Parts: sequence; structure tokens; C-alpha cells
Amino acid sequence: MSEIFKPEVDRRTLLRRAAAVGLLATPAVSMLSACVGSGGDKDDNTDKPAGAVSATNPLGIKEDAPLEVVIFNGGLGTKYATDVHIPSYKKLFPKSEVAFSQTEEIATVVQPRFTAGNPPDMINNSGSKLMDQGALVQAGQVQDLTELYAAPSLDISGKTVKDTLIPGTVEQGSFNGKPYVLNYAFTVFGLWYSGKLFKDNGWTAPTTWADFTALLEKMKGKGITPFGYAGANAPYYMYTVILTSAAKIGGADVLKNIDNLEDGAWTSDAVKQAAAAWAEVGAKYSNKAFLGLKHTEVQLQQNQYKVGLYPSGSWLENEQAKDTPAGFDYQLMPIPSVTAADKLPVTALYAAAGEQYFVASKGKNPKGGMEYLRHMLSKAGAIGFTQLTKTLTVVAGATDGMEISPGLTSGNKALGAAGADTFSFRFDTWYKKLDDELRAATNELFYQGGTADKFVTRMQKAADAIKKDPSIEKFTR
Amino acid sequence: MKHGRYPFIIGFLIVPVAIYATFVVAAYLQAFQLSFTNWRGFSPDVEYIGFDNFVKLFHDNTFWQAIRHNLFLLLFLPLFAIVIALFFSFLLNMGGGTRGGRTHGVRGSGFYKVVFFFPQLLALALVAVIFARVYSPDLSGLINGLLHQVGAGPVLFLADENLAMWSILAVLVWQAVGFYVVLFSAGMGSIPTEIYEAAALDGATRGTLFFKVTLPLLWNTLQVAWVYLGIAAFDAFALVNIMSVDRGGPDGATTVIGLEIVRNAFDYAQFGYASAMGVVLFFLTITFAALTLRVTRRESIEL
Amino acid sequence: MTNLMSSDSTVTPPGTKAGPRHTTEAGRAKREIKVFSGFAHIALAIWGLTVVAPLIWVVFASFKSNTEIFTHAPFSLPSQISFESYKTAWTEAHVGRYFLNSVFVVTLSTAGTMLFGSMAAYVLARYKFFGNRFIYYMFVSGLAFPVFLALVPLFLILQNLGLLNTFTGLILVYIAYSLPFTVFFMTAFFKTLPNHIAEAAIVDGASHTRLFFQVMLPMAKSGLVSITIFNIVGQWNQYLLPVAIMQGQGAEQKWVLTQGIANISVSAGYQANWAALFAALTLSILPMIIVYAFFQRQIQSGLTAGATK
Repeated sequence: MSEIFKPEVDRRTLLRRAAAVGLLATPAVSMLSACVGSGGDKDDNTDKPAGAVSATNPLGIKEDAPLEVVIFNGGLGTKYATDVHIPSYKKLFPKSEVAFSQTEEIATVVQPRFTAGNPPDMINNSGSKLMDQGALVQAGQVQDLTELYAAPSLDISGKTVKDTLIPGTVEQGSFNGKPYVLNYAFTVFGLWYSGKLFKDNGWTAPTTWADFTALLEKMKGKGITPFGYAGANAPYYMYTVILTSAAKIGGADVLKNIDNLEDGAWTSDAVKQAAAAWAEVGAKYSNKAFLGLKHTEVQLQQNQYKVGLYPSGSWLENEQAKDTPAGFDYQLMPIPSVTAADKLPVTALYAAAGEQYFVASKGKNPKGGMEYLRHMLSKAGAIGFTQLTKTLTVVAGATDGMEISPGLTSGNKALGAAGADTFSFRFDTWYKKLDDELRAATNELFYQGGTADKFVTRMQKAADAIKKDPSIEKFTR
Repeated sequence: MKHGRYPFIIGFLIVPVAIYATFVVAAYLQAFQLSFTNWRGFSPDVEYIGFDNFVKLFHDNTFWQAIRHNLFLLLFLPLFAIVIALFFSFLLNMGGGTRGGRTHGVRGSGFYKVVFFFPQLLALALVAVIFARVYSPDLSGLINGLLHQVGAGPVLFLADENLAMWSILAVLVWQAVGFYVVLFSAGMGSIPTEIYEAAALDGATRGTLFFKVTLPLLWNTLQVAWVYLGIAAFDAFALVNIMSVDRGGPDGATTVIGLEIVRNAFDYAQFGYASAMGVVLFFLTITFAALTLRVTRRESIEL
Repeated sequence: MTNLMSSDSTVTPPGTKAGPRHTTEAGRAKREIKVFSGFAHIALAIWGLTVVAPLIWVVFASFKSNTEIFTHAPFSLPSQISFESYKTAWTEAHVGRYFLNSVFVVTLSTAGTMLFGSMAAYVLARYKFFGNRFIYYMFVSGLAFPVFLALVPLFLILQNLGLLNTFTGLILVYIAYSLPFTVFFMTAFFKTLPNHIAEAAIVDGASHTRLFFQVMLPMAKSGLVSITIFNIVGQWNQYLLPVAIMQGQGAEQKWVLTQGIANISVSAGYQANWAALFAALTLSILPMIIVYAFFQRQIQSGLTAGATK
């Protein structure tokens, strides 16, 4: 092999020749541009299958048109689709062929299909590799769901689909006022703890910041890590906590300003105070090693009574079902008030519809996709989902009277106590880049000795950069 | 001799060129084209924006950070892997006794070579999954579990911004060394024994033998190794993507260009921008390759 | 080399005064060798352990429960041998099928790469014709392209050809993306082959094609072997390309091993089922090591041939 490596060209020739290859090949480019644009002409819905509108078929779908759904395979699994929603759809339209596929990498699998102009009809856009939903909407690839929400519910008689939903659901999935996305799972977000651990030690859920830090101190004394989240893949949980505190301090408009990329939204006092309070918790009451852990690993430690409080959404109990010891008793507490002068009461909660499902407007069967969502939003569909995933849906009261788990009960109770004081933010789905920046900034603030000032300046800079970027469409609420 | 020459040339080239043009050249031309657009990956319309992406790139700190990490790997992966592999192949081939004026390998050198080669058998994605567990900062991690046994630790390999890149590098080295031990051993085995005998008679120590005889004669093999490893350094994407904290973190401490391209293309749906990154990477690579060829050639002239 | 020549000339002829001194020196040398080889063994053993420990640890952990993995010492024996995790790995991760898929794809694609790669390289190395350099640099410039960039265009191309989610498509793509490296090295290699044999064959009336297959290819064997090994390793490792190409309805049937492992790694994370992940890892490591144990002599001598040509 010794001679193999004798190069017979010098660098200059190599570069020159390589450049020549590039130039000579340019004519081919114009040919190729046709390739990117290949999905182009199917914009209008004229060639989409449609059928007669009837009471059982309010959207007027073509009964034998095939339907393709892609479900993200993550914490919720995919059984709810294969065992509940697809059978429900097939029952009403037995002649329709429903193709189902699942993936852990939504973007890798589905994105090229949008580019190529043959997307699946209904997509569950979720997971760590989800597609930029804002960009999809911007590109006109997402079906407007107005028609679906106006249609009658599948099994709740006398109501339109919209009437059956928890208020705010439609808005949560709207981009510049138009409903494009169904956020199906309803999530309450707060700090989770073991009812058993608290009972054994005589602890109670604190409401003020002083009580909160006192409790953290006691946990520390017991050799328990008082508070922590997984930095490796779930800083999202922690920034939801910080922003919840910010909203409690300065009111829900703090989050609205952030979403709308207002000038100085991040550098406001409320965000700064919240960041400072949580930075202190990170420095004093956590374990830097968690920065290297994944969410299930921290959650497992909590199940082993090694972690006191853990920020998460109401999906937590289901996710940990297998590793939760008997009697652990998951309980949720709202995030304690940082100051006595907080604008919102301590019971206020981050609660929102999450888990995105949307219909491809340029797919082969957009009406069928919407019909599929109608089945998801039926009472039976919602009950099936909650039974399989221990997660509530946006269908209001669908599971009333059902036997549900302690964690869900506790979440429901907190939601009741919050009343109208629930809020959420949207920027994470609108601007994925801002979400990523916030993840990194949160890790820095909490685990890497960052300061509140640095945190807010950094985020403001990132938000300003997005605001200035003409290639990114802006959304407001 | 002339007859059938062109039919033969065309016959031999047509299939490889067709495959290559269809799947590689066409794909890359499209990527070059996209680097001048603000295409977001979903829309069929393509809008040209000139060199805007490249200007933006120039001011993108994360991108420069990624470039620095790529250079870090490009320098240290070949360096460490080659030095360690040379050291072990030296021990394996010349660490034993001298018989009849010839230095022998240590006993069991065959066994060591087989074992050392194991990591090469595993796909990098698999290695990444294994080492994500090995490095885990809690007790479930191999290293921290052992450290805990002796009352030390935990070391936050991937979570410590100063250690993370080195931890990634260590995995790449771990995987590469075995292959090069075998390669260098083969090279050493092929050096005529008379040369060693002569030098040994001259009273040369083992070290002198290694530096004055073995190394110069292995020079060409070393060059090949350097190029292989340079290419392997770009595979770091698989490791970073699977192992690192917060994908390329903490706070960008491990990000590489490959990851930035994938993130911008698939996460932020900025295909135009991501393509521009790829184009810059292309020119960097070509420059590096040309430089390497140039430098190594000059040094090998002495042989 | 010059160094060596000059020292050669000053070697003391054996016999004369060197005799008695030689023996004492030999004794010291023997001791030195013992110390040295002891040290060598320690160093080699340490690296051997570094290589093997993570692999053994994976096997150990595959038999443990989550709690044991997270609370017990890394090399503690599992409290009970449970094959539950292997059942999960086999049925959910389909390690066996993905392994065979990988073998199938890599066998064909490496064979194709070597055939087409050396055909092109041979012509480019030994024949002068219009466009030769252009084609050569077109191939070589591919070495500098980052594969990530090609993913979306590649998807479109495959889709237009109806090759998406097919083994044929995947194999062709593997071949295409291995060509730059193969052509680059094989061209250099064919250039080094001596001319007189080829000339003699042509005088004997051999056709160009016969010359290639019956004379030149056997002569290039050592180069072929080492590039083949490099291609096998590279294609076996591929992760990005199959993820982008093997997707859609029923794609799980056709996944290659890397995809399968990445998949179970993600779902193990979501379901916190680490033992199943370790079992899947074990199942994919073991066959490789067994195959290697059988063929290590051939593989090593292949590398040897390549390195010493």
C-alpha cells in the first residue's frame, strides 16, 4: 500500500479541477430545481377525494379513499392509535384502507415527504425530532381545521366538535388566528412528589418561597437531592418552571410578550426575578450530575426516593408506571410563589393542551385526516386514549366518573383550584430555535453556575435575532 | 491494441458513473443550489437570496464553535490514535526477547491483537449507545459506578463542558486504536529482519531501533492511517448526536458541523442555511485534504 | 535510510575483542528484556481490559433489573439470571432480523462497490481518453462532501426512481457513496502495477476486459482486500443514510442493525427499560465477535497484505 498514497496532483491542480467540475455541471442545476419544486402544482383541493355530506359523514369524505397516519412512538406509545382511533375510523368507513406507521424520528421520516409533495394525511408531530410546526404552517402545508371544529361531534350529540373541548384548546393550536393544529393531550404542569415520602416525614406542600426553601433544606438534611431535572434531554421541564414563576410574579402577559417577541420581554423584572430564584435552587439544592442524565433516569431516582421534587407534566405517572414502587403515591403541587407580591395566586398553573396532531393540506386525503381527528375527539376516543396512556385529553369531562390514578386525581384537583388562572406559552412550537437556545440557557443557569442577568440577556438576544430574521415567519397571539 | 478501446472504456465507466452521478453528484448540486436560497424544506417555491446565508454564517458563533470542535478532532484523533497504536504495536512486535539478533513480540501478542480489534467490529452508533451508559454520571454508569466503589466521583464526563469534548474524543480513540495496532504490526512485520539485525549488532537500543528504523520505514502506512482517521473524525456526528447532553451540549460544548447542519435543516427547517454550512464545510475539507497531501508528500521524499 | 547505511559500515566484525564482553552484556540484556517485557505485558493488559470491560459490563447489565443497574456495583453479579430482557430485545427490537438485513445489504453493496469502483479506477488509472481527469476529480471531490447535506435531495431522487424503502435503493446509495474513497485509492493502486505484464498479455491477444479480470485484478489483490475491509466497516456503520431511506409503510421490516439499536435505545429511554437495551446490544455484539474469532487470521492477513504491498 505504500505507493497508494503518492498523490500525483498538487493542491492547486486539485482545487482547480474540482472547481471545474462544479462549473461544468451548472447547467444541470436548472434541471434539478424542477426536482425541489416537484410537489408544486397540487395546491388546490380540486383533485382531493370528496364524497357526499351526510349526518354520519359531515366532512364529506370519500368513503373508500385510503388514509395514512404517522404516529410518534414515545411516552404515549402508539397503541391508542392502533387499538382505539383507527378501529373507530374503520368502523365508520370500512371501505377505507388505513395505513399506519410509527417512528421515533418524525422529522427525518416525514419531512422529506412534504418536500416531495406526498405527505401522509395525519401526522403526530412530537418528540425530540419533531418538525418545526411554524415552518410547516408558513409553507402552507397544514390544513385549516375550522371545518372540523364546526362539524358535529361523533358521539356527543347536539354539540359541535369545538363545543366539546376544554376552552383554549383551539387557540393553543392557532397560528395568527387560524386553527391549524390539534393539541390533543391535556397537561397540567407542576412539581411532583411522593405522597408517601411526604407523609412519612410529616412534610406538606409549601406555598411561599420561604417554606419552599425550608422544605428543600430538610430534604437535603435527609440525604435526598431536593430538586432536579434531567439536563441531557429535558431542560424543557425546567424552563417551564422558570417561566411559570415569571408568569406568577408578573402576570400571564409576561408569557404573551415573550411569545410575541416584544422588545425587552425577556429582560423584564418578572423573568429576571424568577431566574434568580431558581438559579439559587440550582446552586444550593440540586446535583450537578443531573445535567448528564436523561429524564427517565432522574425519574427513576425519584421512584427510589432519592429525589424530592421533580418538575414535570401529568404524563409522568404513566411514563414511570413500571418502575414506581407500590404506595409511592404521585402528587402534584403548584409552583410556590416567589414573592408575596406575586400578581397571580399560588394556585395558578401552567396547563395546556399539548402533543400536536395535524392534517397535511397537500396530502392525498385531507378530509379523511380531519375525520380521523374527529374520531380522536369523540368521547369514546378520548376515554380510550386516557385508559391506555393515563393522560387526559382536551375533550372536556370525557373521563368524569372514571376510576383514575392518584397522580391524575391530584392534577385534576390542582386544575380545579386554579380556576381561571391557567396559562401557557407558545414560542417553543412557533420558533424551535428559541426553544433550543432556552434549553441551553436553562442548563447554564441551573447547573453551570449561570446568573439571572446572563440568562435574560442571552435569551433577549436570541429572541431579537429571530425577530430580525426575514426568513422566519412571525406569529402573534 | 486500438480495437475496442473506446467501447471498453465506456463499458467500464458507464455503470459507476451513472450510479455516482444519480445519487451523489445530483444530490450535492442541489445542495449547492439551495445554499443560495432561504428554502425552509416544506414549500415547493425556492427564493434566491444571494450570499445572505454565508454572511449570516460568518456571524454565527455556534457555527464557529462547531468548526473549532471539528478541527480539535481532526488534530487529536489521528494524533492520539496513532501514538497509542504505535506504542502498542511496538510492544507487541519488539517487546519480547532477542533471538538470533532478532527482536520478538511479547508472548501472546496474537491474543492481544485479536482483543484490541474488538471495538472495530461495532458500529459507531452502537459504540455511542454503550458509552452513553459507560459515562453516565450516576451509579448506573460503568466508570462512576466503579469510582463510587472506591469512594470517589462522580466525574461528569459529558455534563462538564470542559470534559465533554475530551470524553467524545476518548471514545473515538478507544474504537480506532485496535485497527491501527493491527495495521502497524503488519507494517512492522514486513520490515526485513536484516535491517534490525544490523542495527542491533551496532548496539542500538530498542528505542533507537524504533525511532531510527521502524518509524521511517512505516512512514507510508502512517500517512494512510492519518487519512483514514481524518475521515473518521467526521463520524463524530454519530457520537455527539447520540451521547451528548442536550444534543451538542452542554451549551454547545460538543457540537460539530455535522450536527449543526442536521439541526438547522431538520429541526429549524432552514435548509438554505444548512446547505450553506455544508458548502463551507466542503471547501474546508478540500483545503485540508490538499494541504495534508502536500505536507505529507514533502516529508516522505527522504525515503 | 542513509543513517542506517552509514552505521552498517562501522559494524565491528564479530570474533575479535567483542567476544567476552558480549556475554556479560547479553546477561544484562536478558534482565533488561525481562523487565521490559513485564512492563509491556502490564501496558497491553491494561488496554485489553479497557477494551473488554465495557463489553463485559454490557453483558452483565443485560441480566439485571433496572434497580440493580442503578444501585449495584457495575460488575456485581445479577441476583438472578433472567432472560426476560432478551425476549424483549428479540421480539421488540428484532435484533436477529436487522442483523441479517445488515449482512445482506453490506455483502451486496461492498461487492458492488469493489466491482464498479475498481472498474472505474482501472480505466481512469491506465487509459488516456478525453474526460478522464474530469471524471476522476468528480469522483474524488465526493470525499469532501458532508453526507448530511445530501439527505433531502437524495430522498427526492430515490422517490422519483421508485427506490425509496427498498434494499435495491439502499444498496445503490451505499455503492454510490463509497465510490469516491474506493476510486481514489484503487486508481493510485492500479497506477503502481507494472506495465510489462499488461503489455505481454496484450501481445498474447488478450482483450481489454480479459486483461482486467484475469491479469490486473489478481495483481491488485492486496489493495482490493484492504479497501474491501474499509468499505465493509464503513457500510456496516452507516446510520444516517438508512434512516433517511428505509422509511414508510412496513419499513421496520427492512431496517438495518444500526437503526434497530438506535430505535431500542430511544424507546428504552422512554420506557426506562435499560436491561432490554443491554440485551439488544449483547445480541448485536456477540455474532460479530464470534465471526471475527473465526476469521481473524484472514482479516489480519488481509490488512497485512494491504499495509505491506
